[in-house]
Order: sequence, then structure tokens, then C-alpha cells
Amino acid sequence: MSAPLPDDLRFTEQHEWVRRDGDEVVVGITAHAQEQLGDVVYVDLPGPGTSVQAEQPFGEVESHKSVSDLFAPVSGEISARNDALDERPELVNEDPYGEGWLVRITIAEAADLDGLLDAAGYRAVVGD
Amino acid sequence: MSEHPDVRTDEGRAGPLADRHEALGATMAPFAGWAMPIRYGSIAEEHRAVRTSVGVFDVSHLGTVRIEGREALEVVKASFTNDPTTLVDGRSQYTLCCTEQGGVLDDLIVYRRRADRWLAVPNAANTAAVVARLQAVAAERDASVHDESTGWAVLAVQGPQALALVDRVLADHGALVDVASATPHLGVREVAIAGREAVLARTGYTGERGVELMLPVDAAGRVWDELRGAGARPVGLGARDTLRLEMGYPLHGHELSVDISPYEVGLRWAVKLDRPAFVGQEALRDASAGEPARRLIGLRAEGRRPLREGMPVLVGDRVVGATTSGTLSPSLQVPIALALVQRTTPPDAALQVDVRGRPVPVERVRPPFLDRDPR
Repeated sequence: MSAPLPDDLRFTEQHEWVRRDGDEVVVGITAHAQEQLGDVVYVDLPGPGTSVQAEQPFGEVESHKSVSDLFAPVSGEISARNDALDERPELVNEDPYGEGWLVRITIAEAADLDGLLDAAGYRAVVGD
Repeated sequence: MSEHPDVRTDEGRAGPLADRHEALGATMAPFAGWAMPIRYGSIAEEHRAVRTSVGVFDVSHLGTVRIEGREALEVVKASFTNDPTTLVDGRSQYTLCCTEQGGVLDDLIVYRRRADRWLAVPNAANTAAVVARLQAVAAERDASVHDESTGWAVLAVQGPQALALVDRVLADHGALVDVASATPHLGVREVAIAGREAVLARTGYTGERGVELMLPVDAAGRVWDELRGAGARPVGLGARDTLRLEMGYPLHGHELSVDISPYEVGLRWAVKLDRPAFVGQEALRDASAGEPARRLIGLRAEGRRPLREGMPVLVGDRVVGATTSGTLSPSLQVPIALALVQRTTPPDAALQVDVRGRPVPVERVRPPFLDRDPR
């Protein structure tokens, strides 16, 4: 694996990252995930107000070769989506933990966060 | 995130350049039993290299089959649909290997090196079927068929600068001046590479000018390194697919199969009926007399969401066909697709593609999607 994982994040086995920000989380896909995907050419994200269920698909990310479901790391309501990705989906490749974020979710059940992986746990998932 | 399963992840047989691909960090995937490079980094950048400068593809998974002997021409004539008697030495043609029922077992290129010395390059997945066809036909004739697919590497060098680059590399092996540039489109000739006999063909699958080099596997690594050293960018099968799709070239397993007639996909020109018997001739004659049930068309959408294989094509609520290949065109930055639709679909009908439950308006266009000339 290349760059070290930011240690303020939590992760899912489906290669999403989660950054807590008060009663919201910011969600994206990991550097490992975008490397596996290749060029991201389209990201399908729900708009604000959409309810999402932990471990259920909430959107899609597409490369030239594949379509992948995005799974909600926590239950709650979408409070923002990254509109910049509509024009520049490549931000997911270029800056997966920063400008390439996907959505913000207002957390319904704080306990959902307890089930997420820390950096060491995620490294084990990707065999690093 | 979880990927929809459109490629298997178990590994295939390592090709002759496996160590080079690994050193380049290629993403490998099984392809017709071979582990082949899908991409080295960005498919979009690899695609652009071929459209604007030059790329090199390892396509060693392609079959390389020799047909030799006094009646080699007769074997080619009776095995495939195009008419090889029109070829002179050093020329090639696109042809089809059809079933008795007129379906397409494979599409391939046959190269006439000499009257008694032919080369066929079928798709990897269909090489066994093509070899079986040739051997069955050759059994009654004075000719022999040799499947040399594992002994030969195939490197495709493609792009506006491909011919000049190959000329430079081959000059170092003592080849004639401008050997690639002087070979006409669809031409084929022998060249010496690393002291070994190799074959240079002015063919490709990208729409750009370029060559395909067929060479013994033990010379492949050296030549790959020299082509890269001269400036060719490694390009994987991912970009090979987006490049061919921009040109509207059919791909077996997508636009071609045993369940699809050549007449449905615009390949009437590759089926020459008025000549001695070949496999599938009767069924194809019947098919050519009627109207095909379906027609292959090009589709183009707005926005950026890729069209993909297997999506229903709609007129209103009615399904009139399905996409056979699709992508986001790296050159045009719009979604493009090929689709088989019912022939009765009016040319001006408002078409939509069902993208996983969402109807997307599409424009019907005549491929190629991009204006290029490989000659």
C-alpha cells in the first residue's frame, strides 16, 4: 500500500472512510478503493434529505470498467452531497480523503460508529 | 463499496511478458484463460496516448495459427466467410468463422504470406474452435495446421507515431529502412528481430495507424523493452476496449456470437457467398436473402454516466433491444454504446436506455463515433 491511512478516520470493510464531525459524518472511499477502481468517471449520489440505512447501498461509483455500489457506513439522513464530483469525478482519484469526499450524513444512531474499523483494522482488511 | 462481478478474479496463465507487467504495477485480470494487463494506471491516459502519440499493447493472448502446404489457400477458402483468393502475397483480410447455422464462432484476420503459407489470428477465447475448424477442413487436403499460440507473442504498436517508432526500433535489428512506414495498410511482411524470424502486420484494433508484431516468445521481452525505450507507452486491454468501441469495431462475445448473424451487425461485406463451398454458406445464403431480425446501431447520450453492456433499449415503455457494449468515451467525454435493436425500430424513434432503472435519452448515431483513419 502507498500512502499511510489518516488516523482520524474510521473505515468499513466495503472500503469507505468516515470522518466524524459533531452529529454528522463525512464519507468517502479509501485510497485503496480508488486505486482498485481506476479512473472514476461518474459518481451517483443522493441529495440532501435522503434517508440511508447502515450497510445498505446509497449510491454508485463508476469507472471505465465497472460499477460499484456505495454502502452507507451509518444510518441517518444525507445532509450534503459533493456536487463538485458531478463535473470532476476524478477528484475521487486525486484526493480521496479530501476534495473527493462523497456525502455528509446526519447520524441517527451513534452506536453505528462503534462497529467501524480503525486504521489497523482496515489495513488488515486490505492485506497491508 | 463492492464491485459488481463483471470479471473473474482467479488468475489465468502467465503470458511471456508477465514479469514486465508486474514490474509496471499492472492491474491483471483473467482473459480467456490468460492473465492479461487491464491497465497500468489510468485507462483514460493510456487511451489518450494511443490517440495522440503511441502505445504498445501486449496481446499475446491472441491466437497465432499457421496454415501451410500446397492447398493452404483451399483450407482458408473453405473455413471462413470472406474470399481469400482476392489476396496477393503480403496482404491480409478480416473474415468470419461461422457455424453451419450461420452464427459467428469468431472473427479474425487471415494473412497471406505466400500462396502456401498463411497465418490466422483468432481471438483468444475462440482459438481452439478456429483451430478445430481449420484442422477438420485440412484433413481432406494437402495442408497442415499448427496452433502456435503459446510460442508466439503479439505486440500491437498503435498511434499516430507508431510507424516511425517501429521503424527506428527495427532499424537497430538490421531491418530495411522505413519497414513499417513502407508496408501498406493490411499488409504483412517478415522481419528479422533479435536474429529471429518475426511477422510485421499493418493491422490493429484502435482506429489509429500502427502494426502488430508477431514474434517468438523468447524475443518478446527484449522487443517490448526497446519499444518502450523508444517512447511507446504501455497500454492495457481496458483502453484497447474503449479505443475499439469509439471506432464501432465489433468484439466477439458482445456484438458477435453464434446467436448473431453477420447481417445483423453490418458485416455483409465480410461474407462472400458466390464462390465454392465454405462452412455456413447455405445458412448465410438464406439469411442474406431476407431482412435481419435485428440491427447493430450506435448510441450516444449526454452527461457522463457510462452506458454499459446489457442495458435495455426502449421506445416509450417497449423494449426494442439491448446494448452490447458501452463506456464513457475517453475522447468525446460522453457515454457511447453499441446496441442490437429490432430492425423494425423506426430510424427516427426517440430511444432511451434503461440505466439500472432510470431511462436515459440517447441519440442514434452511425459508428464510428470518432473520425479516424488507420490507413
